[in-house]
Amino acid sequence: MEIARKFKSAFSTVPMLGWMLGILTGVLIEFYWGYDYISYYLGLPKIPVLFGTLIMLKEPMMIPGALGYDLAVYVVPVFLVAKLTSGLTNPLAALLEKLPLALSVLIHLVLFYGILHLWAGINDYRVLVIKLTMISIILTVSINVINGYQGEFSCSHPGFMALGAYVSSIITLVLFANDKIFGAPLLPPEYGPWFFPLALVAGGAAAALGSLAVAIPSFRTRGDYLAIISLAFMFIVKSAVENLHIIGGARGMGGQPDFAPLHVIFIWTILCIWIIHNFVTSIMGKALNTVRDDEAASESMTIKTRKTKMTAFMFGAFWAGVGGGLFAHVLAYINPGMFSINRLAEILAMVYFGGLNSIVGSIVGAVSINVLGEALRPLELFKWIIIPLILIFVMIFRPYGLISFTELNMKKLLRAKTGKGV
Amino acid sequence: MRKIALFLIAVLALAMVFTPAAFSARKTIIKIGINAPLTGDIPKVGEGSKYAAMLWLEDVEKAGGLEVGGKKYQVELVIEDNESKAESAVKANTKMITQDDVLAIIGPQSSKQAVPAGEVANKYKTVMISPWSTNPNTTMDRPYVFRGCFLDPFQGPVVANFITEEFGFTKAAVLYDVASDYPKGLAEVFKAAWEKKHGPDSIVAYESFTTKDTDFSSQLTKIVKSGAQVLFTPQYYNEVPLIVSQAKDLGWTGPIVGSDSWGSAETVELCGKNCYGLFFSSHYAAAGAKGATKAFIDRYEKSYGYIPDDVAALTWDALKLAEQAIQDAGKISGRVNKDRAAVRDALAKIKNFAGITGNMTFTEEGDPIKCAVIVRINDKGEYEFYKSSCP
Repeated sequence: MEIARKFKSAFSTVPMLGWMLGILTGVLIEFYWGYDYISYYLGLPKIPVLFGTLIMLKEPMMIPGALGYDLAVYVVPVFLVAKLTSGLTNPLAALLEKLPLALSVLIHLVLFYGILHLWAGINDYRVLVIKLTMISIILTVSINVINGYQGEFSCSHPGFMALGAYVSSIITLVLFANDKIFGAPLLPPEYGPWFFPLALVAGGAAAALGSLAVAIPSFRTRGDYLAIISLAFMFIVKSAVENLHIIGGARGMGGQPDFAPLHVIFIWTILCIWIIHNFVTSIMGKALNTVRDDEAASESMTIKTRKTKMTAFMFGAFWAGVGGGLFAHVLAYINPGMFSINRLAEILAMVYFGGLNSIVGSIVGAVSINVLGEALRPLELFKWIIIPLILIFVMIFRPYGLISFTELNMKKLLRAKTGKGV
Repeated sequence: MRKIALFLIAVLALAMVFTPAAFSARKTIIKIGINAPLTGDIPKVGEGSKYAAMLWLEDVEKAGGLEVGGKKYQVELVIEDNESKAESAVKANTKMITQDDVLAIIGPQSSKQAVPAGEVANKYKTVMISPWSTNPNTTMDRPYVFRGCFLDPFQGPVVANFITEEFGFTKAAVLYDVASDYPKGLAEVFKAAWEKKHGPDSIVAYESFTTKDTDFSSQLTKIVKSGAQVLFTPQYYNEVPLIVSQAKDLGWTGPIVGSDSWGSAETVELCGKNCYGLFFSSHYAAAGAKGATKAFIDRYEKSYGYIPDDVAALTWDALKLAEQAIQDAGKISGRVNKDRAAVRDALAKIKNFAGITGNMTFTEEGDPIKCAVIVRINDKGEYEFYKSSCP
């Protein structure tokens, strides 16, 4: 414990910029020497993905090699560079602090994306995992508006996702793809990537409109009704799509053009986090919290509870639709079976694992469940025992999730750390 | 101490500079990916594929590796679980192609996973053979994707012809799952084929239900009352027993005919005597099999304790096809992109491949031309060869 404390205090003077520099060094080491030198000398067949967890679980003989690789490429360089450059990065961070916060955040984000791009560029499997993880972040953050900040229990997120996925796919297929169902493209495909945000927004809008079907009848009451109505909504969407032959029915719809590379999804994820953060910290968001805690009291304090609830619900649904649209274009195939009770369980697991009423918590939940799901893949059936067990333990020891009721504080996160007043 | 450390670092740095030539000597291993639903809705299908692949690997290892162009190469299987989910199948394919450098992929089995996974395989120009997927979209416009079984548009008419010739019936009923892509597609194809033969009103009842339904009595009552002479139900092994026993309880006396999705080892186990004497179209019949088919069945049963179903047999054939394509490609250069293209070209050229589920020749689209088998469930509950039907 003493060592851990010492370790922590030794690195407490490293600002965010320093950590990023450290990670960048690690990624560059992997990029230039990972395959030819490091993994070769450690007896690994290739650069391990996901920090070697997959190869460790599949071939226990490789554990020393994979651990050695992690140490040589990530752990040692990251900590070393972070610590050694703290004399340089702290003044830099202090300099950035003088800039407007938005600009400082933007600079950090660009740096972060650069690192992510380099790291993912080594292997397309990483790209796919990151893409799907970021889509999960959008879904988790958006359901947190409803299940967390609003304090209701909504089950219709897969339904909203399906609406977004189908509407945006239909738009891009009709306009930009040579499709079996809709025929030749109406517009030249080169315009596609520029038009894609509009298609996503249309998908989100469809989901928001769909959410009215749940909101109008159920917000007269509170509690279990919404859960049941929203569950029904999810099944209605699913069976409606199944019975619509024009959009493929149960056979699904494929061939969506590839408009969702890594940077597009990254931008949408950041947008989603930023806008939802602003929403929940706005007056409307604070009103939403009072509605959650005591509806009668907030009504008497002149809050229009019904309007607040409806807006928040539609807002959450909108982002679920955007997430669905991105999902459809990453996989280039959707079928109604994807937006069913399994998906709901997944989304709920992510939000309750990470933490209610917290955007950071949602991100943590989405990333950990996704990465765990991928990393434990070689365990096959046991994966489905281990992940629920972890969830149960989290629920027992932290009933509101790992990081709940915590706001994102960029200023605190990015400031220079001189060791004084930490 | 410090000096030794510095010296070591210097030596290591020098070694790094001067040895890049040695790295190309990484051993060339032929890797075959298996993308199978080991967990999820249809684990039995995944198990069959995995076991068939393991038998195949056993053979290859016994021979000391796969001989290509006079040189023996070690073979490795990369078995990935797709959880019967589309995005998982896509992830598994991406991983196997970009991380594990597989030369070819066998699977996924069901169309729901094979259609999106085929997109990935085609994008990265890697041969993928789906042993069991019958959806035309799996291989359509994808030069790198092949399949080991016949398609729904072929199977539907085969069943319609068989019923007409065998029983001379003119009125048929269909019961299918509207929410599942395979039964729905096949029901439509069958309906079209039947109506072409017997006129527009010859399907007297066309009833549907939704996945995970367990009570079919209202649909079956309608079917019994409709005066149909035969019931066609292209459902999976977990639904067939329920449908058959409920139909009998409601007074259905005519034959019930199914499709290749019946061919699981579980169907009869769950259904019992109720299913004896029924027919379905399939890829192969275990009881009364001869030659290589029998050898495979016996080996499988000895190793794993039950008679393999069609998925296992088709996976075996797909692996054999991949093996032959790799051998026909002539040589392994070690550069996986080049080798994948060579394997693809060799696979597309294969003619009259003698598989245990019949002879195959590939069309332009990567679909095999092969015969269907009509199977009868005999009085011992075995799948018996009844008739063969060729296009």
